[in-house]
Amino acid sequence: MAAVTLTNVVKRFGGFGVVHGANIDIAEGEFVVFVGPSGCGKSTLLRMIAGLEDISAGEIAIGGKVVNDVEAAERGIAMVFQSYALYPHMTVEQNLSFGLRMNGNPKPDTERRVRRAAEILRIDELMHRRPKQLSGGQRQRVAIGRAIVREPQVFLFDEPLSNLDAELRVQMRVEISRLHKELGVTMIYVTHDQTEAMTLADRIVVLKAGNVEQIGAPLDLYDDPANRFVAGFIGSPKMNFMPARVVETGPGAATVELVNHAGARLSKPLQSTPPAVGAEVVLGVRPEHFFDAGKGDCDIAVKADVAEHLGSVSYVYAGAGDDELIIEREASRQRASGDHLTVAIKADKALLFDTKGARIR
Amino acid sequence: MRHQNATAYRFLTPYLLIFSIFWVWPIISSFLISFQATRTVPWRFAPTFNWGRLIGDPAFYNALKNTLLILVIQVPVMISLAIVMAVLLNSPLLKVRGLYRFAFFAPVVVGEVAYSAVFRLMFNLNFGIINKLLNSVGLPSVDWFSNVTPAMALIMIAVTWRWAGYNAIILLAGLQSIPDDVYEAATLDRVSKVKQFFYITLPLLKPIIVFCAVLSIIGTMQLFTEPFLITERGGPGGGTETLGLLLYRQGFRSLNFGYASAVAYTMAGLAIAITLVQLWLTRDPK
Amino acid sequence: MTSRSQSRLGRAIALHLFLTPLAVIWLFPLWMMVVFSTMPDNGIFSPGIELLPHDNFVDNFNNLQRDTNFVGAIGISVSVAVTYTFLSVLLTSMAGWALARYQFVGKGAVVAIILGTITLPYSVVLIPQFIMVARDFQLANTWIALIVPPLFNSLGVLFMRQAFSMMPADLFDAARVEGVKEWRIFLFVALPLARPMLAALAIILFLASWNNYLWPLLINSQPGSMTAPVALGTLIGLTKVSWGGIMAGAVMLTVPMLVVFVLLQRHFIAGIAAGAVK
Repeated sequence: MAAVTLTNVVKRFGGFGVVHGANIDIAEGEFVVFVGPSGCGKSTLLRMIAGLEDISAGEIAIGGKVVNDVEAAERGIAMVFQSYALYPHMTVEQNLSFGLRMNGNPKPDTERRVRRAAEILRIDELMHRRPKQLSGGQRQRVAIGRAIVREPQVFLFDEPLSNLDAELRVQMRVEISRLHKELGVTMIYVTHDQTEAMTLADRIVVLKAGNVEQIGAPLDLYDDPANRFVAGFIGSPKMNFMPARVVETGPGAATVELVNHAGARLSKPLQSTPPAVGAEVVLGVRPEHFFDAGKGDCDIAVKADVAEHLGSVSYVYAGAGDDELIIEREASRQRASGDHLTVAIKADKALLFDTKGARIR
Repeated sequence: MRHQNATAYRFLTPYLLIFSIFWVWPIISSFLISFQATRTVPWRFAPTFNWGRLIGDPAFYNALKNTLLILVIQVPVMISLAIVMAVLLNSPLLKVRGLYRFAFFAPVVVGEVAYSAVFRLMFNLNFGIINKLLNSVGLPSVDWFSNVTPAMALIMIAVTWRWAGYNAIILLAGLQSIPDDVYEAATLDRVSKVKQFFYITLPLLKPIIVFCAVLSIIGTMQLFTEPFLITERGGPGGGTETLGLLLYRQGFRSLNFGYASAVAYTMAGLAIAITLVQLWLTRDPK
Repeated sequence: MTSRSQSRLGRAIALHLFLTPLAVIWLFPLWMMVVFSTMPDNGIFSPGIELLPHDNFVDNFNNLQRDTNFVGAIGISVSVAVTYTFLSVLLTSMAGWALARYQFVGKGAVVAIILGTITLPYSVVLIPQFIMVARDFQLANTWIALIVPPLFNSLGVLFMRQAFSMMPADLFDAARVEGVKEWRIFLFVALPLARPMLAALAIILFLASWNNYLWPLLINSQPGSMTAPVALGTLIGLTKVSWGGIMAGAVMLTVPMLVVFVLLQRHFIAGIAAGAVK
């Protein structure tokens, strides 16, 4: 077990910056998920922790020791790859033991570790098969087993579930959670899937274009995102963003009017100095935070284009372009396209952003 | 990826040493030698000695003419034949495919000496099986070795036999990389098989055809063994002498390294020109 | 029968009618090589048309062995080809590995030099190579002279570079994270995975060495140091020589390669299709 600390970590390829100074503290035994769209630098960050990429500037410490110049093998980490990276010419058993054998680990100890990993992951039956003869889920288990065998201080996962089908993905997600509890080891997990991040993480690191946007517990990110990007990235379906204008300010509050819904005004309490009257802002409301007409602080009327019925909930898609809204309704089975519908917004369930995407609290 | 100069060069150095000593340096050295008079001891620098002689040497022009003549006739014939072989071998209608493939590809493994000997025997004037077969259908014997035209034809036949299958292998691999659905779409559009060949197969195969042509040109340009062994040192009377043979004669019979290097660099110049043409022919359309 | 299957049948017949004679012509020289090798010399030089094998191969071979020490030459050829193939596969796959899998200073230059000179004719380096090996190193008529200079061939490097760079990078990173040393990754992960490509390369290199004529002709011209093709070549054109014997030699050079070709056709074709020869 070990803590991992990233201090001002920078990665440049040639002159091109990929990570611009990341500061992340990961506690011992914590499960941290790096999440962000592709190209945000999350995998690069993970590979730098693993020692597979040079660190252009800054420091990475594992267990209190700076590892910038330590070989990957000496860092006490194990990594599970997106492609599983199983050696196709070796049996499962050989795959699990390869690293230990190559480093002259005593044979009985190697056997013990391999047996233990096989038990934890329930792959005892597969030991003499080759990767080609395994299903996707079984391969995934072997890949994780190979990491367990190393008895690492830190587990690194690089999008480990993205090659599995939806059902298996849920199953393996639970499995990885269980593994974290069982082993109690620090785990760092990279994914572009916010659902995985929400369900697995103790804390989530949201990245965008090489910058850390926010670090926090899953529900904190959901309830209190630092900016429009995090607000839009966390939560599914996405948060709705509606253009608005400040029409009135008072001490500790601002009243905004929705640009696309003339007359819809909402008074939002603020801790900071409110923006000037006339300023353009964006109002963010999650699909699940629309209420029945009259039961909020402000009503808006929309015309449904499409309604998707998922059983327990339905999503109504209304409007188009920057006016498009996704509205979750529990009791809207009968809604069909073309229907008119009035919903309510509550001030405490709406977030305010400036036009650059920063949160106005 | 991490920068790993030391590791990389540990893997690279053994090959790089050999490559530098036996390829890179000789390329430079050959160029330098072509500017030296090499029949004096020590060699002396004389920039026009070999190149001047080359420009005025009828033997050089004879070899150049023969080489180009073989190139111009043999390469297109062989490449066309190879395309036909590849396309037909790729036909789903073909039975006992393995046998046909063996027939056309087998010459690829036959050594130059072995096949030169066989061709020499087969084309013998009085006892060669070819003339016997010609006679048996009422045609006169051909004196393949005493007249220039049949001797040249013989060289071209031999080289074509040896290398057509080789090119067909490369072309066949290219054909098999063309997705079936392209042809299926064309069939649905009522494009005939023949038109499919000219408007789909050939254009898609063009880069590979050009590649084969360049390989063949550069190979044929250095033609040595066939005129050396089949037509007896470029006979009759220099009628099948090639640049490769001239280089051998000058370099290793007369030990005139400077002049032979000039001949070698003439070939290099041709090769570079041809490679540039290839790059131009297969350039990406803007 | 429908007109559709009729036209298919017609096309199939036309295809075979065209291809069969062509295949017979193409096999004819090889067939005649075998026929000649089994005929006595006075049979080869007789007016009749002989298209079937006789039973004189052993006598012809004895004549060949009388004209030149062909068995010894075959021994040299086999040893040289085996050693050359092993060394060349090793050197070029190591170099290909470095170029495919590491970032290092000078990589661009190395690749540029290899690619920029690959279409230069071999004739260009013939004279300096000869001067170097024969005069400077005094190595003419040795095995080293036959084996080492041809190792420059860079097609293997490009072939293996391609093979290694098509493998998923994660595989090697996984081993790296597990603390496996780079040369062990090369030996125990990369090479086993490249087995089909190595086989293709080895076959092509072996064939090239086995059939190599010009360089061995120049550098090892001493009787007793000649390779089999060179030894056989010296007989062609002599007046008092057994042509049945020469044909027996040609068969001995060719038939083993034909057998290898039939058995390992897939690798052969893969090697040639990748342009790994010449």
